Amino acid sequence: MSVTRERFEQGMTYAAYKAQMTRNRDRLEDNEQAVHLRPEDTEFFANLAEPINALALVEDWCGDVLNNVPVVVKAAEATGKLNLRFFLRDQNLDIMDQHLNRGVHRSIPTIVFFDQNFRELGHWIERPAIITEWREGMLTDLYATAPELAGIPRTASPAQLTDAARTRLMQANAEFRAQTRDRANQEVICEIRDLLSRALAPTAL
Amino acid sequence: MAQSSAPNTSGERQPVKVSIVYCAACGYEPQTLALTSALMHAFTYDLAGIELIPWEEGAFDVVINGDLVHSMYREGGFPEHETIIQAVRDRLKG
Repeated sequence: MSVTRERFEQGMTYAAYKAQMTRNRDRLEDNEQAVHLRPEDTEFFANLAEPINALALVEDWCGDVLNNVPVVVKAAEATGKLNLRFFLRDQNLDIMDQHLNRGVHRSIPTIVFFDQNFRELGHWIERPAIITEWREGMLTDLYATAPELAGIPRTASPAQLTDAARTRLMQANAEFRAQTRDRANQEVICEIRDLLSRALAPTAL
Repeated sequence: MAQSSAPNTSGERQPVKVSIVYCAACGYEPQTLALTSALMHAFTYDLAGIELIPWEEGAFDVVINGDLVHSMYREGGFPEHETIIQAVRDRLKG
């Protein structure tokens, strides 16, 4: 069943979503401060013929939500052309299960875009593809060079690693996130712009 | 990499340690604590330890004495408690 206007409007505003968060609000707000839209991104949304409805499936424990949702929020606030509503994934599995990642995973954030008649325009999932690709490359290099991970197969469970190896991996992931945050923020907007450009090409752009 | 415990050839009970890796970025704490509780109630003093390892990337692994007995990546989903309890019982028997 598709999302109706009535269902959409039951979603939380960003302020309401933040108000009900039970953890990680400080991380979300830290990431808000790091978002800097480029003029061409602001211009893209500002030039949309009509506002787009954007339904965001989220949870406050999810790192990808904390990292990527502030980018979409900034675009909405800067242009007034994204009408955002937030839904908790685990309370809205019917919507989630219509937008599974690779048809299997209940990945979040998932942001579903609708036109003014609630025709679905497409959905964006989790994180930019280039970030996933870069992270894979970083891990491949790390397993090949870090002494703590010498001889350990990539398929090993974290429970089968030494404490030092686990710490090295977590440290590398944290460094990767810090080093790629600005590029990731740009890529979120680029991917959403591409999605909307394709969906709206025949009529609105 | 951790090693599996040696087979029990002396008749003495071998120590059994269970490690649970859970994605802390995925909200898997309730499932982790439920399995931990089930193990605590099933085995009281019999386990050498229950280790909880916060991780990310959607992981939920159960490792017993170094053997990966459940992986969310490999099997999909969370394990049945009874499956894990039986795997522990098998190792306690040696």
